[in-house]
Amino acid sequence: MTVHGGIDPVIAADVRRGERLEWWTLFWMSSVIVLMWLTMGASQAMKSAVIEDFLSLVPAIVFLLAARWERRDPNRRFPFGYRRGNSLAFLIAATALLSVGAFLSYESITTLIRREHPTVGGVTLFGHTVWLGWLMIAALVYSIVPPIILGRIKQPVAERIKDKVLHTDALMQKADWQTGLAGIAGIVGIGLGWWWADATAALFIALSIVKDAIGALDQAVAELLDGTPRKLASNELSDDAEDLIAALKSRYGDVSVRLRETGRYIDAEVDCPSPADVPTAADLMGDDAAWRLASLSFRPEPSDPPA
Amino acid sequence: MPALLLLPLLLAACDGMPRDVGGTSERISRTGTMRVIVLPATPDAAPALDLLGRYAAAHGATLARVEAHGEHALHMLEEGDVDAVVGHFAKASPWKTEIALSKPLTHGEPDDADTPVLRIARRNGENALVLATDRMVAEARR
Repeated sequence: MTVHGGIDPVIAADVRRGERLEWWTLFWMSSVIVLMWLTMGASQAMKSAVIEDFLSLVPAIVFLLAARWERRDPNRRFPFGYRRGNSLAFLIAATALLSVGAFLSYESITTLIRREHPTVGGVTLFGHTVWLGWLMIAALVYSIVPPIILGRIKQPVAERIKDKVLHTDALMQKADWQTGLAGIAGIVGIGLGWWWADATAALFIALSIVKDAIGALDQAVAELLDGTPRKLASNELSDDAEDLIAALKSRYGDVSVRLRETGRYIDAEVDCPSPADVPTAADLMGDDAAWRLASLSFRPEPSDPPA
Repeated sequence: MPALLLLPLLLAACDGMPRDVGGTSERISRTGTMRVIVLPATPDAAPALDLLGRYAAAHGATLARVEAHGEHALHMLEEGDVDAVVGHFAKASPWKTEIALSKPLTHGEPDDADTPVLRIARRNGENALVLATDRMVAEARR
């Protein structure tokens, strides 16, 4: 591990665990997508659920790519390494999420306005013709199980390694199983002759995608604009960032302190001359969280703070 | 979790699913009439009419032929002015999203999705009618 590349040994095992979980996610969610696609028919809610499940692969893929980048050493062309690849990939994933959420919302709303009646007929399997709706419901029930399990396992790992992509993925899995339930309600609605139920369920799914996407975009933009580190689940400043600012101010007086996030790491800049005795990361953050502080620099001739 | 709370209620109401959005099956039983258009140039319509006749009989009804041509017939189906249209339709028909087409009645599905074959078109959303006639088509093809 170098200053700007590699993964700290303290979190290496958890990052590897995160990677294994994401490979499992790709496997299970692919099986869900295939099954849902085979039974999709003309249901708007099923279509939204399939697209939602397909999109849920994006954070998993992005996490695996970002973990690979993070292990790369800095070089002459990228002297600060590749840790920010995580932030860029996060922005791309959030943008993709928002576009699809908006598209699905538009489709559901136009279906409701046009009062389109969804048709779900029979499908012949092994000599018996059954209502395709029952197969859709079976596929949706299956689609609920892997996200519930994987999402619950991922959340504490994401918290330990301060990984926004893994955390977003855990949130996405919550959206996945909720989507599954909404989809079932939509299909049962079709079965009961309520033409609006399917598109309404699809709209509910689409709006939850948009909400997740806007939250993720907020965080991704903050990270790319050198914002102070945010909490995993919200756009609030993270507790360890607040603690670090307080620790630096208590040592150096009422100086200006700037923190920014590079992937899962924090870079700190303090407006005061370099002290003779520079504190270690553990001095400032505590032993467990010391890995988070990637760099600490001092500016001996501070300019006026920004207005 | 509104969807989760709604689920037991919905599943309790599952009996007799699927139902028709526009109530076509009930109307056929109530009026004793099933309105059918046979598109011109469908000389082989007999198997489809036989099938629809059996469906109507099972609901205590008889077939009533309605005369209409081409797109006008399909618009009537969309509006619920008739219950079924018999004719030659391709799998990739431009109407495929506006109406519910059955599988071919007398042939296997053609390799070419643009080849028209004898099918029954039903009104979108009339899922009880669509499932019942899908079952009869599957049995007829066996």
